[in-house]
Amino acid sequence: MNETSQYIFWVSHDVALGYLIAWYLWLISLAEGTHIVAHMSWLYYRTEDYRPLEKVGSFQPFIILALVPLFLVADLGHPERFYTMFYHWHWTSPVAYGVYVITLCMITYAMHAFYLFRPELMHLAGQPGALQFIYRLLTFGKKEKGSIAEIRRRQESRERFWAGASLFFSFLGLIYLGILLSSFKGRVMWHSSVMVFIFFAFGACSGSAFLILLTHLKNSLVHTGSKALTEQRRYLTEFGILLKYSVVGQAAVFFIYFVLLQYTGIGGRLASHVFFSGPRAFQFWTFQVVIGLALPFALMLYRKMRGNVLVSCIAAIATLIGTLFGCVNIFIGGQMLPMTHFNWETLSPEPVRMTFGIALMIIMFVVFLATYKILPYENIES
Amino acid sequence: MKKKSQALSRRDFFHKLGVQVASAGAGVLLAQTAQEAGAAGAVKKYAMVIDTNRCTGCQGCTIACKSENNVPDGFFRSWVKVGMKGTYPDVSTHFLPRLCNNCEDAPCLNLCPTGATYRTYEDGVVHVNRDVCVGCRICVVACPYGARFPNPITKTADKCDFCYHRITKGLQPACVDACTGRARIFGDLNDPESEVSRYMQNHSTQRLRADLDTRPKVHYVYADENLMGPDYHRLLGRSRS
Repeated sequence: MNETSQYIFWVSHDVALGYLIAWYLWLISLAEGTHIVAHMSWLYYRTEDYRPLEKVGSFQPFIILALVPLFLVADLGHPERFYTMFYHWHWTSPVAYGVYVITLCMITYAMHAFYLFRPELMHLAGQPGALQFIYRLLTFGKKEKGSIAEIRRRQESRERFWAGASLFFSFLGLIYLGILLSSFKGRVMWHSSVMVFIFFAFGACSGSAFLILLTHLKNSLVHTGSKALTEQRRYLTEFGILLKYSVVGQAAVFFIYFVLLQYTGIGGRLASHVFFSGPRAFQFWTFQVVIGLALPFALMLYRKMRGNVLVSCIAAIATLIGTLFGCVNIFIGGQMLPMTHFNWETLSPEPVRMTFGIALMIIMFVVFLATYKILPYENIES
Repeated sequence: MKKKSQALSRRDFFHKLGVQVASAGAGVLLAQTAQEAGAAGAVKKYAMVIDTNRCTGCQGCTIACKSENNVPDGFFRSWVKVGMKGTYPDVSTHFLPRLCNNCEDAPCLNLCPTGATYRTYEDGVVHVNRDVCVGCRICVVACPYGARFPNPITKTADKCDFCYHRITKGLQPACVDACTGRARIFGDLNDPESEVSRYMQNHSTQRLRADLDTRPKVHYVYADENLMGPDYHRLLGRSRS
């Protein structure tokens, strides 16, 4: 079969979709994973003390989803035609559904976050202060009688409706990411039934890590009462367990993925070779396995370590790095397999696009920090 | 009392939900069947047969295509892949002219989010509508044949459309006209008297990546198996050494 000794003329195609789209996929899985982890945990705890964490888990993903389309827009050949995707709809394309799913995710996160913050905003709108006009604006100038606890009770059904809706769209979003990649039937690395589970694993890992990191960050920037702080640290310690098992889950999903690739012919074996000793091997072993899987697992192994703020933050950052490289490895690596010739496809450097992407992520982070100073994340008991 | 009459029982809710889901499913199925029937029942079915035994590797088709369609430097709508096989003195050179297969079940068309990639049902040719294409490059990644490229001038996806501006005027595609060995034969497969139909009846043909079931409309005669797909053996072997 393999008799060809020399290729005289061929055409290379390069990696067509670069880092911006890889980051786009990662940020969506991160936002949706964070919301799922935050809200599923509420279903478990169901206490008032948990509300500050739920606020982080709703509003921060909203910020990500509000800004993440810019990654997609910047990558388009015709950015001005971005909205064509909404009205020039093509029903066989997963992306056509995806733009609606992500938009609905964003809207439901905003509504859920609005109802989470509303009782405190109502209270603050009636108090003197420099930011009072913002609180009035966010509550549409309305006033409600009664204590904060009573307002919470009155709006509980609406709050839970939007929580349920946002949870539904979060799951749908992760399913969309998996289906999106697995629908490329010519790409052996992506065309796998495990792809949905890979994004669920990414979502669970990065979601719990992001929630741990951002809540610790919030507590360091915003004054939190000692009782509330102790309670939140207890929740975060338990999130450490979730992170540990999510990491184990991610490892298991990848193990199954590689086993399946071994049975997908020579294309599948070459796809796993891309990770093990091919062009993405360094990123896979160093960032995805050692930093993204082994390190957080080791750091979250014992309760004492999970309770330590610094250790849990390091584990969270390591997990985020691991899932980021996981996403990039699959997305870029999948396009490196040649379609017509005999060499790895290469990715041309994209300095402008990468700078734009990094700048946008920094802006997201700055917005996170700014909201900590402006919005009432902590419960106010009037 | 009034409230009670408006309430929906759980049984009614699931019944209505079931009916709605079933209707939506049936609608999608009907639309899909209609689309497939439309593709199958096209008046014409333009296709190409390439007899690689006749190809001399002159790249005349590549040049003709570039000049006819104003293809930018570094990109190709049509090209000839050339490889050599064996060891001296038993060496043979093999050619594989390449172009868009205008597949009957085109992955690029299915994955295009805006429908900018579409098929003309009267002849089955797959096109790119440059006014609607957003330049997302999903189709470029989706094509299993590497036949598409992002055009740096128009900022949209680009590919071979069998020189649609020529074939609709009764002319042959530029590459077919330029082929010195008459290796490329183009025509309507639905017409049993066309040259392409007769050639296919008299020769056994191959298609690229038949395993993907995209039903390409470019057929090859005597094509070398090694050139027909990506050389994964070579990539795996190279890294082993």
